[in-house]
Amino acid sequence: MTTEGDTSVERGAERSPEVPQASPEEAAKDEAGAAGHGAEPRGKRSAEGEATFLVAIAEAMWEEMERDDSVFLMGQDIGVYGGAFKVTEGFLDRFGPERVMDTPICEETIIGTAIGAALAGMRPIAELQYADFIANGFDELVNVAGKHHYRVGERVPLVVRGPSGGGVRASSFHSQNPEPWFAHTPGLKVVVPAFPTDAKGLLKAAVRDDNPVVFFEHKWIYRRIRETVPDDPDFTVPIGRADVKREGVDVSVISYGAMVHKALEAASDLEDSGISVEVLDLRTIWPLDTAAILRTVEKTGRAVVLYESHRAFGVGAEVSAVLAEDGFDLLDAPVVRLAPPNVPVPFSPPLEDAYLPQVEDIVDAVDKLSKW
Amino acid sequence: MSNGKARDIWGEPVRTSASARFDRLGLKEEDLHRLLYYLKLCRYFDERMEMLYRQGRLPGAIYSGRGQEGTHVGTGFALRREDVFLGTHRDLSVQLTKGLELKRVMAQFWGRVDGYTRGRDGNSHVGSFAAAGTFAVVSMLPDSYPVACGWALAFKRRGEERVAVAMCGEGATSNGRWHESLNLSSIHRLPAVWIVNNNQWAYSTPNRLEFSVPSVAVRAEAYGMPGIRVDGTDVLEVYEAVGDAVERARSGEGPSLIESVSLRWKGHAGHDPARYVPREMLDDYMGNRDPVKRLQDLLMSEGAVSEADAGALDERVKKEFDEAHDFAQRSPLPSGEDVTRGLWTEDGYWDSDPRGDGRTE
Repeated sequence: MTTEGDTSVERGAERSPEVPQASPEEAAKDEAGAAGHGAEPRGKRSAEGEATFLVAIAEAMWEEMERDDSVFLMGQDIGVYGGAFKVTEGFLDRFGPERVMDTPICEETIIGTAIGAALAGMRPIAELQYADFIANGFDELVNVAGKHHYRVGERVPLVVRGPSGGGVRASSFHSQNPEPWFAHTPGLKVVVPAFPTDAKGLLKAAVRDDNPVVFFEHKWIYRRIRETVPDDPDFTVPIGRADVKREGVDVSVISYGAMVHKALEAASDLEDSGISVEVLDLRTIWPLDTAAILRTVEKTGRAVVLYESHRAFGVGAEVSAVLAEDGFDLLDAPVVRLAPPNVPVPFSPPLEDAYLPQVEDIVDAVDKLSKW
Repeated sequence: MSNGKARDIWGEPVRTSASARFDRLGLKEEDLHRLLYYLKLCRYFDERMEMLYRQGRLPGAIYSGRGQEGTHVGTGFALRREDVFLGTHRDLSVQLTKGLELKRVMAQFWGRVDGYTRGRDGNSHVGSFAAAGTFAVVSMLPDSYPVACGWALAFKRRGEERVAVAMCGEGATSNGRWHESLNLSSIHRLPAVWIVNNNQWAYSTPNRLEFSVPSVAVRAEAYGMPGIRVDGTDVLEVYEAVGDAVERARSGEGPSLIESVSLRWKGHAGHDPARYVPREMLDDYMGNRDPVKRLQDLLMSEGAVSEADAGALDERVKKEFDEAHDFAQRSPLPSGEDVTRGLWTEDGYWDSDPRGDGRTE
């Protein structure tokens, strides 16, 4: 009836855990059939014309498929079912089963097939039901896609995308942030947007990129964040550029993904205490926008690196190293990392809340650092 | 087919079962000569490279395909230029038959800029879709199988009459992606041919410890495709089976599985003396089932090739090897300054001339 039930997915006997649910407005809209099969994702925008993160991603793929016949989708349950999170709802009727290809459960072969199709001149977008399952396709991505152009000079223009991230009580197999695995791997671009406009522009850029791109969509953001997104079919956001989401002068919070929203909330709280926080959204993990990182710290002299992948050897470890090596003179205080401990993502609310950095943790960290 | 030996009482050529087979396969005398040439080239290359390796004159590793030339050349010979081949480190002979240039392959072994990977990869980890329609070998096996699915998918989608042919050893058939690929290709009736070079040893592990079914070929039934087991020491048998499977795929009837059985005469790699292979087994294959000798003997008995022809082919492959070897030694080594170039498509490295800046060794 509503998208609520549709966001759960069965893998064998296992039923996936809670995921973000549709707002009552969205549910009513779906019921009314406004966003039925064959309909453009744009039809799912709110009455005010705003798109959720999820709809923005669907718009990006739809527009790229309309533009370029070589773009096609493959993944599990993306056709009739419209994808576990309903990102590809309506695509099958518009583009047909060859371009919206349901596959068996075989992540390694989904990614490997995407590689072959890309080498043959197509532009595949492979969907993983959850980003966690990218582990099953790790080898093809790391050993074939990432290395191939460097080894032979043949282009592998593919996108592998999937929902990542925690905070939705989905425990250790449906909540991971695998971006550091791939940022560490040569030859893969890694994109983790936080806003609908960025998601749309970056995904369109990813489809047009001649290199393999891994694109993670934080599932907490899917239906929670909405904004007006551009209609221009050639609107893209360049891969590899960070963006200042809030200007400030006292402390920089450098983050990406769902944590950007926590950072913005914390920044708003801190404003009342007279602390001005600048929030830098990395948007792309690799290639890392080191210039933007140094620029914000040049302004504030203080940095909290906030991220949702595990603390040790995570994205923030690299950001901190960039600051230590190239920004030492700019710093007035040590770099602070705020990230989950190196344990699997736990299920029970008190455990997961303790695992993830919370707004109050960010407030505390920034407050302390501002006094350093 | 003219026949130099068997003649009737009036001295006219007699049509033998072998010549009938050549006719059925559509192989004219010049084709048979080319087939023998590739067998000899691949054998000679394999032997000379091993010698250079043992003399310490070849950097890196070698993975001999000796004894399996029937599988390799039979496969390469059955493919069109526009078909693609995705194999393993042991299948270099397929790539040579399909059209990789010997001199550039040699430059690859010596890490030179004229190699297909410009020194970024070594030995038989080579391939070029642009040059020969072949995939640069990846060590994880059979990573090429899913990639072949993707090529086949693109061919089907675009309505091209082309086929993706993947090869791996029987050892790699235990891996999940082997099964995933057969399954996916069958569901979507992809124009793919799956070849398993069963050389009876996965490094040191024999067939009986790799699978508990009587053959690899029987697994085809589980994926809803035809499976056939052929004698990989008979290049004509392989050529026929691959040709049939390729035509089946080309005409839209879907994938097939071919198991081609021979013996790996040498170790897994150059360092491996392969003492685990029983001596009698090796003697039998080397003495009685040498794929190069088998075809040469057959062609000679049919009068399709003379002693002089065979000798000329031997001279030709030696000369080609020597020239390619010289080319490789003269080719410049890459510059260490280029180590980070060519990772991303946008840096233009692969569009640049590898020898453009005039660097020499």
